[in-house]
Amino acid sequence: MSPAEQPHMATSSFWNDTGRTGIAAWIFSTDHKRIGLLYFYSVLGFFLTGVVLGLLLRIELMAPGRTIMGPQSYNALFTVHGVVMIFLFIIPGFPGAFGNLIMPIQIGSRDVSFPRLNLFSWWLYIIGAVIILTSLFTGGGTPDTGWTFYVPFSARTGTNVSLAVFGVFIIGFSSILTGVNFVTTIHRLRAPGMTWGRLPLFVWSLYATAWVQILATPILGITLVLIFAERVLGTGLFDPGRGGDPLMFQHLFWIYSHPAVYIMILPAMGVISEIIPVFSRKPVFGYKMIAFSSLAIAAAGSLVWGHHMYTSGMSDTAILVFSFLTFVVAIPSAIKVFNWVSTLYKGSISLEAPMLFALSFILLFSIGGLTGLILGAAATDIHVHDTHFVVGHFHYTIFGGAGFAFFAAMHYWLPKFYGRRYAEKPAIVAWGLMFVGFNITYFSMMVLGMKGMPRRYYDYLPEFAPLNLVSTIGSWLLAAGLVLLLVNLFRGLFRGAPFEGNPWRGASLEWTVPTPPPTENFAEEPVVTHGPYDFKGIGIP
Amino acid sequence: MNPELLTTTQQAVDPVFMFIFGACLVLLVGITAAMVWFVVRYHRSRAPEPTSQAEGNLWLEIVWTVLPTVLVLAMFYYGWAGYLALRNVPRGALEVTATARTWSWSFTYANGMTSPRLFVPVGKPVLVNLVSLDVLHGFYLPAFRVKRDAVPGMKNHAWFVAPKAGSYDLFCSSYCGVGHSAMITTVEALPEAEFAAWLQQGRSGEHPGKKLLEKHGCLVCHSLDGSRKIGPTFKGLFGSRVRVLVEGTLITVTADEAYLKESIIKPAVKVVEGFPPIMPVVPDLKDEEIEALVEFIEGVK
Amino acid sequence: MSQPLHKDYAGAKLGMWLFLFTELILFGGLFLLYAIYLARYPQEFTAGGRELNVLFGTANTVILLTSSLLAAMAVTAIQRDDRRTAQVLLWGTVLCASVFMVNKYLEWTAKIGHGIYPNSPRLAAGPPGESVFFSLYYLTTGLHGLHVLIGATLLTCVAARVKRGSVHAGDYVLLENGALYWHLVDLIWIFIFPLYYLIL
Ligand code: HEA
Ligand code: HEA
Ligand code: HEC
Ligand code: CUA
Ligand SMILES: [Cu+2]
Repeated sequence: MSPAEQPHMATSSFWNDTGRTGIAAWIFSTDHKRIGLLYFYSVLGFFLTGVVLGLLLRIELMAPGRTIMGPQSYNALFTVHGVVMIFLFIIPGFPGAFGNLIMPIQIGSRDVSFPRLNLFSWWLYIIGAVIILTSLFTGGGTPDTGWTFYVPFSARTGTNVSLAVFGVFIIGFSSILTGVNFVTTIHRLRAPGMTWGRLPLFVWSLYATAWVQILATPILGITLVLIFAERVLGTGLFDPGRGGDPLMFQHLFWIYSHPAVYIMILPAMGVISEIIPVFSRKPVFGYKMIAFSSLAIAAAGSLVWGHHMYTSGMSDTAILVFSFLTFVVAIPSAIKVFNWVSTLYKGSISLEAPMLFALSFILLFSIGGLTGLILGAAATDIHVHDTHFVVGHFHYTIFGGAGFAFFAAMHYWLPKFYGRRYAEKPAIVAWGLMFVGFNITYFSMMVLGMKGMPRRYYDYLPEFAPLNLVSTIGSWLLAAGLVLLLVNLFRGLFRGAPFEGNPWRGASLEWTVPTPPPTENFAEEPVVTHGPYDFKGIGIP
Repeated sequence: MNPELLTTTQQAVDPVFMFIFGACLVLLVGITAAMVWFVVRYHRSRAPEPTSQAEGNLWLEIVWTVLPTVLVLAMFYYGWAGYLALRNVPRGALEVTATARTWSWSFTYANGMTSPRLFVPVGKPVLVNLVSLDVLHGFYLPAFRVKRDAVPGMKNHAWFVAPKAGSYDLFCSSYCGVGHSAMITTVEALPEAEFAAWLQQGRSGEHPGKKLLEKHGCLVCHSLDGSRKIGPTFKGLFGSRVRVLVEGTLITVTADEAYLKESIIKPAVKVVEGFPPIMPVVPDLKDEEIEALVEFIEGVK
Repeated sequence: MSQPLHKDYAGAKLGMWLFLFTELILFGGLFLLYAIYLARYPQEFTAGGRELNVLFGTANTVILLTSSLLAAMAVTAIQRDDRRTAQVLLWGTVLCASVFMVNKYLEWTAKIGHGIYPNSPRLAAGPPGESVFFSLYYLTTGLHGLHVLIGATLLTCVAARVKRGSVHAGDYVLLENGALYWHLVDLIWIFIFPLYYLIL
């Protein structure tokens, strides 16, 4: 990714204009764009790791009984798969990578409020990641608790859980600092004329996300400290033998981990709210409602954690309340979906790769979300809880939702920072493969769940065999698609056709700066005179 | 949905599935259709210019805020009602205690009868009290839409009715370690009379050691037919030469009575080569029970 | 390289406040557990509370309050550009911190001497609520002690910078934030003290 490979890019940009090149100039850079790319490549690396693990899970589940590994390895595998995907890919992914790359430019700022803190967050993230990776190969062996670390099992298992939770703790700290940084930045560094009403929806979504990071992550922190203490000091706070209560752990864990799912999806929704209007050449429909619903989700989302515990033995009154609130959070998401669809109406739609990913996001996220309603209803959740139905649900929301939005963002924004673009046709083929493969893989999982196949099952009864095979084959399509997508995208970014100016005719500030942007983004502080979706306002016919 | 009128748990849950799935399907189809139609109709090739600059519409926003709200509240209420039905146990239900341990179930009846499979009378409600001896386990009967966690140190229960005779799967739904996916057994629904008979004489024909093996879930890890499970098989074990690790050093011992006893009481002392030292100790095993176990294991040729 | 050119005090302050907020929530988790277990084992908790040495507790409370006062005075001093006093006051704060830690050390060793520590045979033998109470006690006070150490280190660095002059009447946001952090550490103790030592 060195500017040398970018001949036509002799013009100065953040790649070269500081004169600082070489590895040190990157890993110690405080420029939000360089940090953004650091994050991007790190999360992408972990994504690929996790995705290969996912593939292995599918291969093991291809047929009943032992296929390629034993039960212990399988348990370790889905634990690592879950931990990597949640804590190393999707949670840091959006704020860290695209938040850093885009947000400061979109609000017309030179950088974030605390550039050095920003760099520090990335370092914490890497350190945490390294600790987690170490925990896989040292001590009593790879953690096998599932990403939920439920006690008493996590307090007893001989595997290397203590080190792993310590790593996650550090990642959490990094996430908090990013949140603090972004809230401050969005409050303090908006350019003149960038009123709250003119804030791009991606920034709004990051703002809501940052608040969730600030308010929820500390609880994860203390929860992990408690597991650590439970294992190392034997505090017994969750040990029924000594007056502790295992359910308290589940409460603490989900008080963070449900809001965390909105850390994953809110920025994704922001990306979609950027792409849909641009490729429809039409102002986003219901700007205020979309912005507001992000805050509503962040707020209401912090009160529904109990819906993960319907079968745990929690009191029925608690279930009544949590089920009710769970349905309440669904409404803001509904509002968003309806507004996105209405934005298409009477627009002028072009189906380029980013748009295709954005549109499929709406469909896949809707499926994921609607299955969430099945899970939110007390009676139905009892049947599908801890089955592959849940696995289907969250892959639809996380991978079909957040994941596809991430791919959309990669195609939409990365060319801006490389000055070169991917080839359109292969990108669309890749999208097609992934879309089809995705649905085959995860829809079969949901059916399996309905039929009663529990999750985290290394082996299963013969009646589940056919659909598991289908699901596995689907995951290969998905794999093929992803490989093609990545190859095409990166070939394009390094060797592809030049990408200049504002080919997609976006109206937000990132399209007004040179391609690639210079280190401090704006020659002099911009004055904002129109909204982010006012395509007429920037004189686009 | 008056629970009193219910006869089975499925009848409490399935209509809720139908309702929510139905509503979701309608919404999904509607949204997708609209999306596809707009994309086709307003594709740049057909609509080179946007024909509207509308930035929103208050009435639409109100409509699609209020309607979903009403809809989800209906879903919530219906789901809650169904859940209540799962919670209040019909009077006069047969009471059974399910004891979960890594990684096996054992069911104890009022008359002290225990069994590794859950025998129930057809058409009679059954109340299952859930007990866990170690970590979380989950009592899951897909056929009856019933699931409840067995939490150590906590009283949980579930109930169901088997509408007709037959064998139904019983899974452990809550992750509990290596044997999680092996922690499955069945519900055996017998006609009233057969069940009563079974409950009385049990399987008295069998060797007491065999019953103990089942009761304590030994057979989850040990086979009697020579196949290798989580632990070594018992087939031909007695008298054979076993290579075991004692504090890390490999020695070869003969599997005599003393060895078998020790392996049961203190499994961690001599750990068989090639197996993890994960065998749980069964507390409160009486001497005669151990005798019986050993005697039976000796008999497995 | 790309620092915002002007220094944004309001921003720095806002950031600090947000961070302090997350620290409060961190301890909030422990107080939550405390509340729930207190409801479950009221008498064990009162019994446990009596075991704790109110004298030590009160002493440490006084010490921390004074230290907070000193920190606040250091801020006013620097505003008057009186860097000597500011330094002295900061060192005073750090001194209080170390006295606090020494007290904690004595208190803990005494407890451990009586065989009261997580997973100790004595607690294992005692009623379940008791072990819960002391586990929480050690975790909470331990985590707080850690924050005292961090705060003290922070203020030491600030004092050094005051000496070097890089923190002065014109630019003392670092000192202000350091003091803020110290007030937080103090505040948390103000919760811990009654909850554990005085058992309301
Ligand atoms: C990006 C991540 C993400 C997102 C966005 C969501 C969104 C939602 N989730 Fe999900 N969820 C997870 C990730 C996510 N979830 C994960 C990882 C787990 C498993 C954790 C584990 O155990 O390992 C989980 C588990 C989970 C459970 C526990 C299941 C169980 O273990 O028994 C529940 C239960 O209520 C639930 C509900 C919901 C609901 C109601 C939403 C809502 O926010 C959805 C709102 C969206 C819509 C409703 C669709 C769009 C709207 C329309 C199409 C318009 C029409 C809609 C209406 C009329 C309402 N989720
Ligand atoms: C971001 C979140 C995310 C993503 C993207 C994925 C992606 C995938 N996951 Fe999932 N998954 C989780 C989060 C995620 N997962 C979580 C949180 C759990 C719960 C864990 C737990 O229970 O504790 C879980 C659990 C889980 C299970 C359930 C395990 C069980 O309960 O028994 C399964 C089973 O099939 C599965 C499969 C997959 C598959 C097939 C993919 C597919 O995306 C993978 C498709 C494959 C590819 C796209 C690979 C193609 C790419 C390559 C081959 C790379 C080429 C190599 C290089 C260039 C280096 N996952
Ligand atoms: C969690 C799985 C598990 C359960 C349940 C279990 N065992 Fe084991 N058992 C093992 C493993 C693993 C080994 C081999 C390692 C060792 O010796 O500890 C073993 C070893 C043994 C041995 C020595 C076998 C040999 O080949 O030398 C005997 C005898 C035995 N178990 C009896 C029992 C009895 C009796 C019970 C029930 C009361 C029981 N086991 C329950 C896992 C289990
Ligand atoms: Cu027992 Cu899973
Ligand atoms: Cu949730």
